[in-house]
Amino acid sequence: MPFWDKLKGNERDNSEEKQENEPERNGSAAPFGLELLITIVEKNKAEFYMDMIQAYEVNFQFSAPAHGTAKAEILNYLGITDTDKAVIFSVVREDKLDDLAYMLEQKFKTVKNGKGVAVSVPFTSMIGTSVYAFLCNAVNTVKGDE
Amino acid sequence: MNEKEYEMIFCIINAGFSEEVMDAAREAGARGGTVIRARGTAGKEAEERFSITIHPDKEVLMILVPKDIKDAVLEAVYKSAGMGTAGQGIAFSMAVNKTVGLQ
Repeated sequence: MPFWDKLKGNERDNSEEKQENEPERNGSAAPFGLELLITIVEKNKAEFYMDMIQAYEVNFQFSAPAHGTAKAEILNYLGITDTDKAVIFSVVREDKLDDLAYMLEQKFKTVKNGKGVAVSVPFTSMIGTSVYAFLCNAVNTVKGDE
Repeated sequence: MNEKEYEMIFCIINAGFSEEVMDAAREAGARGGTVIRARGTAGKEAEERFSITIHPDKEVLMILVPKDIKDAVLEAVYKSAGMGTAGQGIAFSMAVNKTVGLQ
């Protein structure tokens, strides 16, 4: 029996009765894959993008101050005065990633001074069921440290 | 959304060496990078064992590159700021699944 079924107290093999929002993941114990989304944006837009990302069932994210590497002569040529950026690290569910990426793409194109870059890196393992449930926002699936 | 294969190169180097590393990476084909300030955590035990001095102030340089030039960029980074240099850098790459915002 999959480890995940034990966590839910579900003794039967219900692979055919999986809920719609729990994708089959090739026998993995965890119903949702998680990825680390790294978003690099202008410093003053970090909060805006964090709010946007949070709407996609993202419970954990943090940002770090950073700066770009463009050379001074290029900045002077383009009339840009600062290269301050923010790097936002967000833990995102795999099944939400396509929608989130589409939203970010639209925002990068349309928001004034809102251009940025985002990449995602998949998680390969994790320890702690309640932490996992928190990160994938599985509020109805895992209760406490059962 | 871009499905072309990219890799993210992370270079952890002593503070102040990011421009040097970025120059080397540019020569190997990289376009730009982002620098985060960081702090090393290696203990005194490691310093004594390997007879090296750990500079706690670090910079993490993140460079997103197409997969086909990843090796060249890593090599350039290693030559300009590897462990044998003042930059005392380490570099590694991670395959990224999706990329957004690249043209």
